[in-house]
Amino acid sequence: MLFWVLAALLTLIASLAVMLPFLRRRGDRSLGVEHDLAVYRDQLAELEQEVGRGLISKADAAEARAEIGRRILRLRGAGKADSGGAGGRSARAIAAAAVLAVPLVSWGLYAFLGSPGMPALPLQARLTIDPSQASLDELVARAEAHLADNPQDARGWEVLAPIYARLGRYGDAAAAYRRTIALTGPSAAREAALGEALVGEAGGIVTAEAEAGFERALEIDAANPRARFFIAMARAQEGNTAEARAMWEEMAAGLPQDSPWKEVAGQAIAGLTGSGGEVPEEPSEADITAAEEMTPEARQEMVEGMVARLDARLREDPADIEAWRRLLRSYVVLGRRDEAGEALERALAAFGADSKEAETLTEYAETLGVPQGE
Amino acid sequence: MSIELGHFALVLTLALALVQTVVPFVGARIGSLSLMRVGEPAAITGLALLAAAFAALMLAYVQSDFSVANVWENSHSAKPLLFKITGTWGNHEGSMLLWVLILSFFGALVAAFGRNLPPTLKANVLAVQGLIASAFLLFILLTSNPFARLQPAPIEGRDLNPILQDIGLAIHPPLLYLGYVGFSISFSFAAAALIDGRVDAAWARWVRPWTLAAWAFLTGGIAMGSYWAYYELGWGGFWFWDPVENASFMPWLAGTALLHSAIVMEKRSALKIWTVLLAILTFSLSLLGTFLVRSGVLTSVHAFASDPTRGVFILAILVFFIGGALALFAFRAAALAPGGLFHPISREGALVLNNLLLTTATATVLVGTLYPLVLEAVTGEKISVGAPFFNATFVPLFLPLLAAVPFGPVLAWKRGDLMGAAQRLHFAFAAAVISALLAFFLIDRSSAFAALGIGLGLWLILGAATDLALKSGVGKVEPAAAFSRFRGLPLSVFGTALAHAGLGLTTLGVVSVTTLQTERILTMQPGQTAEIGGYTLRFEGLQPFTGPNYTEDRAHFVLTRADSVRLGEIISSKRLYTARGMPTTEAGIRTIGLSQLYVSIGDSTNDGGLVVHMWWKPLVTLIWIGALVMMAGGGISLFDRRLRVGAPTRRKAALAAASEEAS
Repeated sequence: MLFWVLAALLTLIASLAVMLPFLRRRGDRSLGVEHDLAVYRDQLAELEQEVGRGLISKADAAEARAEIGRRILRLRGAGKADSGGAGGRSARAIAAAAVLAVPLVSWGLYAFLGSPGMPALPLQARLTIDPSQASLDELVARAEAHLADNPQDARGWEVLAPIYARLGRYGDAAAAYRRTIALTGPSAAREAALGEALVGEAGGIVTAEAEAGFERALEIDAANPRARFFIAMARAQEGNTAEARAMWEEMAAGLPQDSPWKEVAGQAIAGLTGSGGEVPEEPSEADITAAEEMTPEARQEMVEGMVARLDARLREDPADIEAWRRLLRSYVVLGRRDEAGEALERALAAFGADSKEAETLTEYAETLGVPQGE
Repeated sequence: MSIELGHFALVLTLALALVQTVVPFVGARIGSLSLMRVGEPAAITGLALLAAAFAALMLAYVQSDFSVANVWENSHSAKPLLFKITGTWGNHEGSMLLWVLILSFFGALVAAFGRNLPPTLKANVLAVQGLIASAFLLFILLTSNPFARLQPAPIEGRDLNPILQDIGLAIHPPLLYLGYVGFSISFSFAAAALIDGRVDAAWARWVRPWTLAAWAFLTGGIAMGSYWAYYELGWGGFWFWDPVENASFMPWLAGTALLHSAIVMEKRSALKIWTVLLAILTFSLSLLGTFLVRSGVLTSVHAFASDPTRGVFILAILVFFIGGALALFAFRAAALAPGGLFHPISREGALVLNNLLLTTATATVLVGTLYPLVLEAVTGEKISVGAPFFNATFVPLFLPLLAAVPFGPVLAWKRGDLMGAAQRLHFAFAAAVISALLAFFLIDRSSAFAALGIGLGLWLILGAATDLALKSGVGKVEPAAAFSRFRGLPLSVFGTALAHAGLGLTTLGVVSVTTLQTERILTMQPGQTAEIGGYTLRFEGLQPFTGPNYTEDRAHFVLTRADSVRLGEIISSKRLYTARGMPTTEAGIRTIGLSQLYVSIGDSTNDGGLVVHMWWKPLVTLIWIGALVMMAGGGISLFDRRLRVGAPTRRKAALAAASEEAS
């Protein structure tokens, strides 16, 4: 309600402003010619001063004086009385229309654009909403606000990091784990979790940076299942399935029966007989159902067919950078690194070696470990 | 509620701007003084409403109110307060709001302080201002509304581009806009004069202070932008001939020409038509700059978000105003009576030469900026026009201009004497030549360009000093008399001398950096030292640091002079802004005298080393000091009483106080 009162008040002020010249008694007259004369008189005075200071010769001064005089005469000739403030009825009609236009245009347009009922929600107001009503995002934000004020709170970072990872905010998760490690020192669990966050950020690829994290975890605790699992995964993604299988089997054998990692390792070994774990292009619902019923060989064939189709499509229309990424990743996952290198070269040729896309793809290829020309 | 009130105030301003466009214009047509007067309260109330709208948006930024889409997209609750405030205009919508706020500010200034303007001229000026404001307010409300809301409000914002999280954002855009938009007043005056069919010396006298103010602000804005890019981007360059920089440089060149031709018109009633055309062109180039930067045609740090409808809308505004003004010019220019005659060698002649060179230089920059865009639009081919093009076209045009500058102020009006002028400048010329030779033999014998450039810079500075000395009669009269004459010189003479000397300082800085700077790139291990520019840098090591919304690795360097006196520390760092995950490089800069040592770090190597890029930039600060001096020159000229036309009743007193001189 207060909003409408204030809006009406503003409209009133604006309308009054338009009416103002009509509310005043008009006393003064137009001064157009007078003003021009003022300028020329100033110029004449300037000229006299210059003559007085010897900056201009007598002859030049006389000539200049004559010219200014000519201009004044011209002005007198053109001088016409301005029509003071006439206009009469039409002027009043226009004024009335203008005064009316102000509320009509403003309220009309605001009704179309504005959201008058919506309250302001500054940060403070948002943070004081009852926690039980708050969404996970809001709780995370509250924790972030707390950590922004207390960046040394290692426990806070440690609690927040896995939540980030679950929300899919892998970059934030990795940063939070790094923070925890910096504040409280490394542990096998933290290093391995950092590696996993990095894997998530890279879309499932065990990058060199992530692998370094797992290696550090294994240095502290050689039995850490998470680190061992992902190191094996790295081998599998490099195409070294035999070694990966051996590592997973060794890991599964060493784990107690109720360990969740045992099952995960088992699934991974089962997956090895298939494609290597990852499906390159988003398959349709039907494809997935079909794939589930297939023999491993047929599944492999289907995946390779998809990759071949993607490859063919990019030969015809090479402008899609996301598709290039998918192709590079697919080749790496299938263990066909040389073909990935070749695809990268084609992509660079298509975008131009100096383009921004080329730079992005080269960086991406580096994280995948794709061999690069030269 | 404040947000919605701000939104309502913005809409109300549009209604007032429409009234301000139509009513005074009709009033001037039918000769009704009351209708003509409507423009004044409308302009002033419009400014108050826009200021309220802007304050509402700023409050939303300060309170991190993410129920406003614009705030959510460009702010973050962890951002320091200063950047929350400056972030208000660090985005497309907010910067457009600042644009019209400044437009409305200038319009209100004309309304409030233009008491001495002839009523029809004033009414037409305010009407044209109202039309520009209406077009841009409509653009803001329909395509880039800063008050669009989000329901439900997200808990955290997307943060401001880290490159913009700098004190530069507090200074550069407002100054630049004061310049860009200030030229709208010259434009409105030109359009009003064409509508009236009357341009005279008085008109030039009213236009000059506005042009001067806009020019001074634009000078400052460009210089600030250049320094910001220099220290923030970490490449150590001060000017890249980037299309966005050119977009601000073109109105500056045209505005400089306008400033000078307005002098000729005021003093000698000559060049009327040309001055009107320049006033139109200057603001047209400002609009073109706005279009290039805001439409998303160019990708740069300035193109916040590209949306095709915005580009088309701004293009329509551009076509309407430039096309409309030029059509008006074509119809009415013939009606403007030509003015006084002059000899080619005279101060008028010198100013015509200045105008020719400046407009040609503007044209080369325009071609270099637009050609790649047009080529890409027509053939799809991408090319970039960079420094080589401008060095080959712009520099050869600008060098003779610089060489001619000192002659202008010492030539007489109407019929000058080139030999006499040259004689009067012999001291400055001799001093410049001697220093050029000294520079050649003592500093750098390999580069004749450096010596020439240093000579040219000194020629400009000494030429400006000679002008002051001649006008106060040094050598002709007693020293005491000369001093009192010096003190009695009108402010605009000091303004001219300062602006020209500032140009000389900038020239010195540019030449010195481009020809004499030294650069080293090397990998340094902690404890290792490197020599540059006669100084020694020792790399101490990297240390992590946590800022309010970023983390960084700081590289510490200890600086020592050749005689092993310790000069303190230089810190350069690699920052990561956590909200956007965006890395930036913060350069470490140490100013020694007028020169700077510039250190920018690269990546760490596997063996614990760090790639370090360092430059020794002799006299680099003169580039921006020169711009500040130019700005001061403009400001001092602005306070010259002659620029303020006294009302008939006040005229006598003003005359008694003013000491006048023809410049």
